[in-house]
Amino acid sequence: MSDTFRNRLMFAVALVLAAIYLFPLYWMYTTALKTGSAMFATPPKFLPSDPQWNIYADVWQSRNMGRYLWNSLVIAFGAVSLIAVLGVGCAYVLARYRNVWVEIGLFLILMLQVLPASLMVTPIFVGFSQFGLLDTPRFAVILAIAAKSMPFFVVLVRATFMSVPMELEEAALVDGNSRIGAFFNIVLPLARNGILVSAILIFMQAFGEFVYSKSMIQAVELQPASVGLNSFMGPNTNEWNNIMAYATIYVTPILAAFVLLQRRIVSGLTSGALK
Amino acid sequence: MKRILASVTDGKGFDIGLVLLPLAFLFVMSGLPLVYNVVMSFQEVDMFSLGTFARPFVGFKNYVDLFAQPETRPILVNTALFVSASIAGQFLIGFGLALFFWMNFPGASWMRGLFLVSWVMPGLVVGAVWNWILSGDFGVLNFFLREIGVIEGNIFWRSDPHYSLWAVIIANIWLGTSFNMILLSVGLSGIPKDLFEAAELDGANALQRFFTITLPMMRSTIGAIIALGLIFTLQQFDLFAGITSGGPNNSSNVTQYWAWDLSFRQYDFAKGATISVIMIVFVMLASIVYVRSTRHEVRG
Repeated sequence: MSDTFRNRLMFAVALVLAAIYLFPLYWMYTTALKTGSAMFATPPKFLPSDPQWNIYADVWQSRNMGRYLWNSLVIAFGAVSLIAVLGVGCAYVLARYRNVWVEIGLFLILMLQVLPASLMVTPIFVGFSQFGLLDTPRFAVILAIAAKSMPFFVVLVRATFMSVPMELEEAALVDGNSRIGAFFNIVLPLARNGILVSAILIFMQAFGEFVYSKSMIQAVELQPASVGLNSFMGPNTNEWNNIMAYATIYVTPILAAFVLLQRRIVSGLTSGALK
Repeated sequence: MKRILASVTDGKGFDIGLVLLPLAFLFVMSGLPLVYNVVMSFQEVDMFSLGTFARPFVGFKNYVDLFAQPETRPILVNTALFVSASIAGQFLIGFGLALFFWMNFPGASWMRGLFLVSWVMPGLVVGAVWNWILSGDFGVLNFFLREIGVIEGNIFWRSDPHYSLWAVIIANIWLGTSFNMILLSVGLSGIPKDLFEAAELDGANALQRFFTITLPMMRSTIGAIIALGLIFTLQQFDLFAGITSGGPNNSSNVTQYWAWDLSFRQYDFAKGATISVIMIVFVMLASIVYVRSTRHEVRG
């Protein structure tokens, strides 16, 4: 009896804490639905009395969001594919062996993981422009993001490979598989979920990437949604309902994916970063 | 040739190939830019010499010039303030939440995971939302503060030089709290329960248990999280771009934004590279602390 009461009380407190913490998100969703005058009302209205549902279609049209989101998708998919192709094998080898070389490799990868993008963008931009890579700016951004995020991916996926029992692979080798065969038929399918979750995390990061895109993509037609949002927010803007509608369209798919996959993402994240 | 092929499909060559290809990629895309950055910080770089490698070397001139500039010192102070206030806020709130969710109740882990939405949102969207919340006349934060009676008049978070840095700090604390909480929760759940039972039998109260068991047992986790916090706050760029753009008059500028601003707004790539070199050294030191505190995992 007192136990269920305690549990209910704790759950209620947790709900209140979550409501406070997630208020900015709620404020984004409600502001988007407000009219121009309701937005600037004092005291502010916490429930929009006259929700403007057509704002999403309007903003989508007027800001050309289809093109921006398409570019974000191209960049995110490109970066994730490149990272997955290169990173999975690297993580596998680093998980399978324990010697000095593996430790050196891990150390280097951990060090590369921490380099801030806004500091690396200067040499990358100058170097890329010298090699003509800026003529294909989206590809240049994909390369830069891949270099930035691959270490994190390797760390996460390595943790997954560590949990695949080595005996299974050895049994496959005894049964006459080659190393490649054992890798693709046994190890990779067993680690599939972990790799997928890590790839989704990297995808979310790349989908919202800003520094590299802002610096390297000059042509408006090739810019991703983050840069589009940035140019939407002028210094003295008062179109906050439109900006929040833009933000809503931009993040809702990410948030939906996160809520669906929450448990896996959280456990994947923690296994890689700590322990 | 055949031997090599056989080794690649079925021997050591397979492993070496798998690991060398990505390492080569990282070397070209991260290692070389790092070196190039250092080289540029000793060169004179302008719009005309951008396309060539043969630029005049000027020794430590860029460094000397940089520290002679009047805005350098305030920006360094801002960076220190931004980093320490952000880490302190994220860590304390995150620890409080982690301790709360640690008292197990049905739905605790699901609710805890929900907090992480702040972490998966694009940084620029977080910046846009907080920009609106922090707005001076119509911002909802000012409304709440007025209602509680903390302030009388509105605070112009983004345009008042006394508050502009704090505007970004508030947003950054919100952004990073959930990540701190999740990692601290992992650390908390790693403490053996019987330690607490033993202490309770010996008559230790909750506060004593916290200071004699929880904190000491969490030492390496806390070290790793503070180091990670330092790394992440020094990477924070989107919030500055989304809220204050470093202004007004550099009052909310920090080194990682300034480096970008110098390179891509003022086209002074040499100065941008110079600040980058200095800050990267800092980040590297922090990451050594991080790697050391997680070395149990690395060493196995």
